[in-house]
Amino acid sequence: MIGKVLIANRGEIAVRIMRSCRELGIVTVGVFSDADRKAMHVRYADEAWYIGASPSRESYLNMDAIIDVAKRSGADAIHPGYGFLSENAGFSERCSREGIKFIGPGPFAITTMGDKITARQTMIKSGVPVVPGTTEKLTDENKALGTVSEIGLPVMIKASAGGGGKGMRLVKNMDDLLPMFHMAKSEAMNAFGDDSVYIEKYIESPHHIEFQILADQHGNVIHLFERECSIQRRHQKVIEETPSPLMTPELRKEMGDKAIAAAKAVSYEGAGTIEFIVSDNLDYYFLEMNTRLQVEHPVTERVVGVDLVKEQINIANGLPLSFRQEDLKQHGHAIQCRIYAEDPENNFMPNPGVIKHITEPLGLGVRSDGYVYEGYEIPIYYDPMISKLISWGISREEAIARMRRALYEYKITGVKTSIKFLERIMEAPAFISGKYNTHFIEENNGHLFTPRSCGTACEDMAMIAAFIDYIDKLEKLQHRKENGKMTSGWKAFGQKRNVLRH
Amino acid sequence: MTYEINIESRTAKIELLSRAGTKALIAVDGHKYDIDIVMVEPGVYSILYKGNSYNIELIGGDTSKKYIVNTFARTFNTEIVDAETKYIRSRSKGLELEGDDNVASPMPGKVVKIPVSVGEAVKTGQTLIVVEAMKMQSEFKASGDKTVHEILVREGDTVNAHQIMIKLK
Repeated sequence: MIGKVLIANRGEIAVRIMRSCRELGIVTVGVFSDADRKAMHVRYADEAWYIGASPSRESYLNMDAIIDVAKRSGADAIHPGYGFLSENAGFSERCSREGIKFIGPGPFAITTMGDKITARQTMIKSGVPVVPGTTEKLTDENKALGTVSEIGLPVMIKASAGGGGKGMRLVKNMDDLLPMFHMAKSEAMNAFGDDSVYIEKYIESPHHIEFQILADQHGNVIHLFERECSIQRRHQKVIEETPSPLMTPELRKEMGDKAIAAAKAVSYEGAGTIEFIVSDNLDYYFLEMNTRLQVEHPVTERVVGVDLVKEQINIANGLPLSFRQEDLKQHGHAIQCRIYAEDPENNFMPNPGVIKHITEPLGLGVRSDGYVYEGYEIPIYYDPMISKLISWGISREEAIARMRRALYEYKITGVKTSIKFLERIMEAPAFISGKYNTHFIEENNGHLFTPRSCGTACEDMAMIAAFIDYIDKLEKLQHRKENGKMTSGWKAFGQKRNVLRH
Repeated sequence: MTYEINIESRTAKIELLSRAGTKALIAVDGHKYDIDIVMVEPGVYSILYKGNSYNIELIGGDTSKKYIVNTFARTFNTEIVDAETKYIRSRSKGLELEGDDNVASPMPGKVVKIPVSVGEAVKTGQTLIVVEAMKMQSEFKASGDKTVHEILVREGDTVNAHQIMIKLK
């Protein structure tokens, strides 16, 4: 049985995994880079070991350093979280070679699914529909141009080793193809250490719906229903919810079965996610499988009532699944908002910096998975996500109202955040009605980027607060200066002495 | 005590008429507000006015006179205008700021690539520098057909927010 787990990650997910370990009585080993000495996961872990310099490639992607710490600390298992080494087959293989349990699937499933091109071929064989696109890796410009002239614009360029929107670009004009191709490659190299990319036909007005699955080492596979992830910016999810407003019971059953078939096709083990693109008329295509825990897993946990990290650990221990498909039900509705350190008004530019003040929301039906604290500096080297805010309600309406309330309570100063922007999404008619697709942010531009009026009194109050703060600051400063004069006692003493001498 | 305050595009005259404890009487453009104001947490003010409760957060700007002010509904950029500010402003015409000819990053990050060199003629929209922060690369482009006058950073350098990286002419 696993008694000690090394968490090969940072940020909120490292803390979240450690929480489940703590509940299970498992000892946790954190790892950190130069930039992360003061990070929350280092403080929360039972043990924390240094693994290298700040850039990911030298620390959180550094397999040798991580394996070395695992051995020296005596960890039985490594939980990779998401991102970094979580979908690296070489790492999974290396762990098993070194006699350390990798909490996740074996190298075969990761290689097959992680290489998006092989995944597509495997899905076609298992009868799961896929999006038209390249069948091999694109390395040179001519091939990229050739593929696009075959399948037509618009296309998506994606990192073959990718996920989480990194190294992903939408191309609408032929002129943009090559610059985008090179940027995608460069981003992919930085984020995953592999610069292979592929091209896929871009589906217009798509819904992004994914299915959570769990598979044990005994061939049992279940799905934990869907997550609707269509609200995205820069192809990165912003808001996720379950159940999907688009879903019908029939479609859920069908897609759930396909998701299980997809997992079985690669003899999957652990928690995984099958992502689909769904059109307005409910045609669905396999997009990719994420062979790891997802950022948005908490909405599933809340509605289905399962701790996914605990299930991952049980599976890694060789135990059979704790549930059968028929045991699982969706109860109520859950929404997750990702709080980013970024400036929505300035093209979502990342905004690293020092957290001056933070108040996290509390109360019934609210969960906040974060890692920052007052005085913490968000480093420039990693993801700009500060936390995930999850609300639950008996109905979708209640979950939305609760999310609005929680966002109202959420206060972060020091860095720019997406909180106000998320509040506007919660008020957008298209979101409230549940009729939205991945173009939601573009299409609701007017609503989302127009600041709310707060009336003359409110504007005046804003000025008054700034004014009072300024004059109080001035007064303090003057006070200090005056005190300063009084306390320069040596001069006074010298003068007195001179007087006495005479 | 009277100051001018810029709030977004509006300039208002603000005057402290009286103050005792948390109570204050303040006139904004002649409109008198009888308020109860207290700093409840560092940078966070609670104001009570006519029974309404306002929670207002201040984030310090580039200078001690600038604030980003968060109210429930929206965020404002404000600046206290005093004699010193006015004086600096009258002289600032010749000062270097982020402008058409100066390329600065709005966020801290790392310089990934500088595909141009000093003296090179560049065209509108041509990439001058690529900066990466939080795994996201941003390209900074030429604002017009110009010449690269000066390059103040090197590839691999870490830059601060608003630091000028390249000057054009």
